[in-house]
Order: sequence, then C-alpha cells, then structure tokens
Amino acid sequence: MSEPLTLSELDLPRRNGELAFDAPWESKVFALAAAVVDHAFDGDREPFRQQLIKAIAAEPDRPYWESWTAALESLVQTLPAPS
Amino acid sequence: MSEHGHHHPAPPSAIERRVAALEALLTERGLVPDGFIEDVTRRYESEIGPMNGAKVVAKAWVDPGYKERLLADSTTSIAELGFGGPEGSNMVVVENTDAVHNVVVCTLCSCYPWPVLGLPPAWYKDPPYRARMVREPRTLLAEMGCELPGDTEIQVWDSSAEVRYLVLPQRPAGTDGMTEGELAELVTRDSMIGVARL
Repeated sequence: MSEPLTLSELDLPRRNGELAFDAPWESKVFALAAAVVDHAFDGDREPFRQQLIKAIAAEPDRPYWESWTAALESLVQTLPAPS
Repeated sequence: MSEHGHHHPAPPSAIERRVAALEALLTERGLVPDGFIEDVTRRYESEIGPMNGAKVVAKAWVDPGYKERLLADSTTSIAELGFGGPEGSNMVVVENTDAVHNVVVCTLCSCYPWPVLGLPPAWYKDPPYRARMVREPRTLLAEMGCELPGDTEIQVWDSSAEVRYLVLPQRPAGTDGMTEGELAELVTRDSMIGVARL
C-alpha cells in the first residue's frame, strides 16, 4: 500500500479530504450496490441501507467496505431467482 | 520493483474474491450495464464532492434571498444549483450562529448528503465517531480541533432517518470584499459536517 503514487492517482481530488476509495475493490462494490439499487429496486436505497445497518451492527469493528460487501451479499439473497 | 525487474501482482484477497463473485452474479442477472461501474466510480471520485456543497454555502453567504430559501426548502434550493440524486432527496440545511453550533452524524451506518459532500470520510463511518458525537459532542469536537465557547449550544443531527443534513457554517470575518467564487474556496468539507469552524 506504500508504493509511489502514479500521476493519475495524484490527479484525483484530495482537497478537503481523502479519496473516496482506498482500493479498486472498494469502488467496485460501491458501484455494484448502486447498480442493484438502480436496476433491481427502482432507485429505492432503503432496503440496502437496512442491510448495511444490520451488517455494521453485527460486526461493529469490521472495516467499513467489508460490511458494505456483506450487506450487498445479503441484499442479493433477497432478489427473486432468475426465471 | 522486484529484483526480476517486473512486478508480480498479489493473488486476490478473500474480500476481492467476494466482490468479484458479486460482480459476476449481478452481471449475469443483467443488473450491471456496460461501463456502469467505471461511470459511477469516476463520478464519485471527480465530480461529486464537497466543492458542490461549498458553492451552496458561498451563495447563501452572498445572497440573503437564496439563504432564506435554502433554510426553508433545502432540497429545492440545492437543486437550483444542479445538485441532487442519491442520498440527497430530502436535504435539511442547518445554520451555525454565535449561539448554536450544528454537527452531523449517522449513528447506525453512514448516511451522508452525497450530492453536496460526496462520499463520507473514513472517520465518519467509524464506531468511535458515531457513538461519541452523540454522547460527548463537545469533548469530541475539541479533540478534532473544533473548540467551542462554553456558552455555544451544540446541536447534533442524526442522519439515521430519511433526512440528510448539511451545516451552513458562519462566514469568516474579514471576507467582505470576496467574490462568491473566492468564498467557495474557503469552505471545507469538515465545516459542512460541523466538525470544524471557518
């Protein structure tokens, strides 16, 4: 994680704080949740939020994006099986 | 750089494999259009962030009519500047004064006004901030470098309902001659969460 930054990483906005994501899998799982909210729940974020609350409560000290991943896995379980 | 002169990528970690499995499953179900992941990531890394909220704050500082509308109907007034979308459909702006300092937390998860602040910083999502900002806000604010006068009331807003809060910080003294654009440069993310003053 301490490798020198590439130019493209330096170009990302750091003013006002840190980058939104520390690793590619974090941005990927963030976007996957957005995809499910948009395309399986008509933009309703509440079902995902409820799973996230549960995932964080279950393991409060787990890294945030791992709880996010667990929440998305649980949400996907609730989707109807493909026909 | 290894002694062989080229880089060996590490094998994927357990969490990377879980995310890859989710991606494969959701793609197979047709829920992830081509380019969707790249598009979402790019927007949250470069277009959606605290610079949007800073524009809202600067406009409120220079335009009393806008400020009045912003406090009365925050969602509509923020949309006037082109900012809206996920986690921003029910916004409430709370104004700092000499008497009251506002600070925002999400006690249950990580609710945050994405259209105006982007995604939350790591500390906002961590258990100590979520628990302590409710229990001992004055102490935690001081630890974060935001010392408040003893007679300033602290109002803590828990985002765990439908509402997403944005703090309107006080305009710093000595900025009378500044343009709206120059003022926006002064507004920090932390001041709009309420963990800093300007």
